[in-house]
Amino acid sequence: MLLKKFFNVGFEEIRVLDRRAFALADIARYPLFSEEFLRFLAEAIPPARHAELVYSIVVTARKPAAIAP
Amino acid sequence: MAHFTDDEARGVIRDAYAQVRSSNTAVAAAFYGDEELAALPAAAATLALGVGHPVKYAELREGEVVLDLGCGAGIDTLLAAKAVGPTGRAIGLDMTSEMVERARNNAREAGRDNVEILQGLIEEIPLPDASVDVVLSNGVLNLSTRKSRVLAEASRVLRSGGRIVIADLVLEDALPEDVLKSPAALAG
Repeated sequence: MLLKKFFNVGFEEIRVLDRRAFALADIARYPLFSEEFLRFLAEAIPPARHAELVYSIVVTARKPAAIAP
Repeated sequence: MAHFTDDEARGVIRDAYAQVRSSNTAVAAAFYGDEELAALPAAAATLALGVGHPVKYAELREGEVVLDLGCGAGIDTLLAAKAVGPTGRAIGLDMTSEMVERARNNAREAGRDNVEILQGLIEEIPLPDASVDVVLSNGVLNLSTRKSRVLAEASRVLRSGGRIVIADLVLEDALPEDVLKSPAALAG
């Protein structure tokens, strides 16, 4: 879905250069989330998914010369 | 994101990032090298809240103008400023006044004269058309309810042939509805 947005805006040479799984333990490193919220996540999300909750990716792309602003 | 209006989501995110405090580099250490972090103001490293290392992939060159969308306390802006050198420019943009102040302080502490920190929305970038060579963003696009608008704005400010490097979070399977409805989840 995200890559499609790049394409729809007119970017070219769209590439994913890195992809890594974020586990619940990785989310816990961020000071944005309270202990209460982390407990809520642990309970709301099936344990089988705790090791790969979301994925971080690095996307690169290029604006072609001909694209209109 | 469909559970909140644009303004509601933005308000929750703004408050979360305005109030965030950290005294450790646990997040930064996951993505940046020890030497990189040692060369930065501590406050830039402890408030690194991204999800990757876009500067590493940006192939920045001396003299380039780089825009860091949602710069936060400025870790990527400062790394970009170093990479593009004194003839280049690194511009950080953030909607949260507290983060803008932190980024400006960190740029001063780092002695970077080629850094400019702006306050504004990534959906309405306050820069002219075709004025930057590279757009970066780190864990920010997922916070916007108007991602296509952000990408369109990035394209607008990029010069022809310019590059965009985004580190962001994606879901491969939907999260439970209760999580999606939680305001706290918006900040991530």
